[in-house]
Amino acid sequence: MAGFITKRILFGILTIFVVSVVAFLLVRLMPGSPGAIVLGLGATDDEILAYDTSIGWHDPLAVQYLTWLGEALRGNFGVSLLDGRQVNADIAARLPVTFSLALAGTVMSAVVGVLLGVIAAVRGGVVDRIVNAFSALGAAIPGFWIGIVFVFVFSVQTGLLPATGYVPFAQDPALWLQSLILPVATLALGGAAFVARQTRASMIDALAQDHMRTLRATAMPEWRIRYVHALRYASLPIVAGVGLQFIALFGGSVIIEQIFAMPGLGQSIQGAAASNDAPLVLGIVVTTTVVVVIVNLLLELSNRFLDPKLRTS
Amino acid sequence: MTTRNDSTVAIATAPPRTVRPSRLRAIRRSLSTPGGIFGISWLLLIVVASFTAPLWSPYGPNEQTGSVALAGPSAAHWLGTDDLGRDVLTRIFTAGADAIATSALGAAVALAVAIPLALWAASRGRGTETVINRVTEIAMSIPVIIIMLTVVGIVGTNLPLIMVILGLVISTGMYRVLLGQAKSLQSQLYVDAAFVDGLTAPRVSGRHVLPGLTTTIMVQFALVFSIGLMIQTGLAFIGFGPPVPAPSWGGMIQNASTHIYDAPWLMVPTGVVLILTVFAANSIGDALSGPREKAPVRSNTRSLRARRAAASAGNTEPTGSSPVAAPSATEPALSVQGLHVGLDDGTTLVSDVSFAVSAGRVLGLVGESGCGKTLTSLSLIGLLPTSVATTAGSILWNGRDIAALSEQELFRVRGREIAFIAQEPMRALDPMFSIGSQLTGAVQRLRSVPKREAGAIATALLEQVGIVDAARVLTSYPHEISGGMAQRVAIAIALAGRPRLLIADEPTTSLDVTVQAEILSLLRQIIAEEGMTMVMVTHDLGVVADICDDVAVMYAGQIVETGAVRSVLLEPAHPYTKALLGADPHATGAGGPKRRLVSIPGQVPAPRDWPSSCRFAQRCDFATAACSGSVPLTPRPSGAGLSRCIRAEELFARPTSSLPAHAAALKEQVD
Repeated sequence: MAGFITKRILFGILTIFVVSVVAFLLVRLMPGSPGAIVLGLGATDDEILAYDTSIGWHDPLAVQYLTWLGEALRGNFGVSLLDGRQVNADIAARLPVTFSLALAGTVMSAVVGVLLGVIAAVRGGVVDRIVNAFSALGAAIPGFWIGIVFVFVFSVQTGLLPATGYVPFAQDPALWLQSLILPVATLALGGAAFVARQTRASMIDALAQDHMRTLRATAMPEWRIRYVHALRYASLPIVAGVGLQFIALFGGSVIIEQIFAMPGLGQSIQGAAASNDAPLVLGIVVTTTVVVVIVNLLLELSNRFLDPKLRTS
Repeated sequence: MTTRNDSTVAIATAPPRTVRPSRLRAIRRSLSTPGGIFGISWLLLIVVASFTAPLWSPYGPNEQTGSVALAGPSAAHWLGTDDLGRDVLTRIFTAGADAIATSALGAAVALAVAIPLALWAASRGRGTETVINRVTEIAMSIPVIIIMLTVVGIVGTNLPLIMVILGLVISTGMYRVLLGQAKSLQSQLYVDAAFVDGLTAPRVSGRHVLPGLTTTIMVQFALVFSIGLMIQTGLAFIGFGPPVPAPSWGGMIQNASTHIYDAPWLMVPTGVVLILTVFAANSIGDALSGPREKAPVRSNTRSLRARRAAASAGNTEPTGSSPVAAPSATEPALSVQGLHVGLDDGTTLVSDVSFAVSAGRVLGLVGESGCGKTLTSLSLIGLLPTSVATTAGSILWNGRDIAALSEQELFRVRGREIAFIAQEPMRALDPMFSIGSQLTGAVQRLRSVPKREAGAIATALLEQVGIVDAARVLTSYPHEISGGMAQRVAIAIALAGRPRLLIADEPTTSLDVTVQAEILSLLRQIIAEEGMTMVMVTHDLGVVADICDDVAVMYAGQIVETGAVRSVLLEPAHPYTKALLGADPHATGAGGPKRRLVSIPGQVPAPRDWPSSCRFAQRCDFATAACSGSVPLTPRPSGAGLSRCIRAEELFARPTSSLPAHAAALKEQVD
């Protein structure tokens, strides 16, 4: 077990390293040098060259990467080319927003999706068809569209919830919750559709297993067979599916944040990509990778814990 | 018991050579489902409408028509106008072709990368596979949209180029899916055979593995197509779409979102068209991946009873009603009378089965696969699969009719009076729970004892079934023990409620030969110790000879012969029993070198094709014109028991001195 964890952690570090190298090379391909961006249109070529040279832009790539890496390891992602703000300060302020969006969205997807999937598999018939229709529709509706529809229905028409904006938890927990409801619901619709589909298939498979007959033959109550034994058997693929949803929703929130004017990483990387703000793009890509690597590691661990075959070996 | 007993069945029923339908036909068939038809028609409609827009639309896509801006649907503008007075319908469909073409481009790129990579990794074995897997794992550690935003920063808003790169990025996920299937195809015997024939790895992949991936590839194409469409509209929505004023679905939705207060209608047309397009692609993918498994409807017991009552009141009056078959003089403990088992759609799977077992005796239920013996055994404990039910007849167990019990009443019978042992012990145990929790739980439930006491009983039960290190086995999980050990555990679980009747469905079939004998002798010992009655389902006449007292031979849902083991095996009174004996390798071994193992030509007819005449007549060597009438069970020519053969008397009545050739070997086993 300890050996397994060490191996996965080392691989996670390798992943982050490789992604950072690739991303470092990629952002170099963005048009325009830092000097051209920082100094603006009025600058002469000489001024730009002088600026670029002063920050080491013309040094060998390996040297530049190692310099960046050395700073990054100390928690310093450099400064934004646009406004000169610290990249890590920007990320530190925005990551909690995106993270709580993705996490709340995942929890809601999991709760709704597992509930619907289990009901569909256990009840069958009309209920099953309704859940299937929900999964198919939920998978086809883009978040950025349904999000606006939600705003129209719950803010513009009824005024129940704020249309946009984000209130930090520390400032006012009640308003924080209110400001999260619509964006989280938007993210969770597609997520719940996916989890419901996955859960339903896994539960149907579980209920058809031979060992369910052994349990019935020894007078185990039907509810226990369904909700303890079948659900336990189905839990491995369900948990894996929910984990994938977190990663998907972390990415998805990039677009959703725009609709609800949430000050998350999405807004930031959007602006950075549009203005070729290389240090900011690089910082966000690496940060996102770290989050994903940690989530994947937790998934592997839960998998180890849930699957007796892995746990006992 | 020295031969694997599957061979009996393998010889008896060689599977028919099925003609594999051509792949294209299968694909066409799965696409002619409602979902497939809708998907293809919708995508075609968009593409055609898109290219022909200048022909049917009076407006240009970017033409500010001079009509009222932000208007709802009207005769002039069917879907209304946007904030610059442009015709929404024209813009939606004009944007359609690009959206579909570039999404397809992305999916094609993903396939072009993923297919060769998966085939290569599958044919190269572990080393290569691990390396590629690690690389794809790293690539999948960044959310796609973040990668795409970085890409947009580099290449700008060149849509085809963006979609090519998206295809590259997504190919990693697609590789994963294809690899799994390519690997399982690669391990097929015919692929090995191709290598033996001297084909090179790429040719084997191309000729024998790739075709098997066709459906998966098409499903993945549809899936990646819709992901691509979602991502490109998402990018356009946040401002990275085609430059204005060119129409794009994402851009139009973005534009509509700014008018949510003054013109909410504008959200509808583009949104619906986009959703329908993604839905269409998903439907095609779903249709291609075949009909989805339906969750079975759990019918409640009441409706089953009602149906059963209706059925027995109707036409299924037991034909040629059968007398009790037990040769024993004592009152039978289990007596099955005119049992019919059928599917919900009315198909009969078991018809008019009657037999009886006296207390303490073992009845063998014998027949080829598909003859109804497993369903018969499951009905004895009320555990028929959903959508199958007993439709007529009675199952009298100590005076109570099991077939008429409600689910609650059955609940009190299962495990406590009647227990069940399944064919595959590994699959009969719950892989997620320890053996201790499964066995102790059963003891707690069935004997209503506290947990601590149940633990002690569990240990004793494991020792009773011959497990020496009970303590260790209790803490093990099913995957940690052998098949034979698992069957011992399954027997211990069956004993947990001190049942009086044990139903065993081929309990030795999936075990190794040496273990089979051990399990059989364990069963024999336990039923003797506990004085239990047993019904043993098997296709192996060796097992019957070994452990059973009486035997009932089933064919095509009917009983064709019953009697004491000795008389049925030594002097069969039905051509089917005789043929089974001829197909039994145990019987021939000692019968002399010249006797060949006989196979029964043809196969058991499907339930729908059961004739009203003798069901075995088609495969019978002795069939005559007389066999086309209905055949009742009649007393055997010699010994107690019944036979369903109209010619039994003339064919099988013979002096016992002239035993048939196979009898010598079986006689040893029976004695």
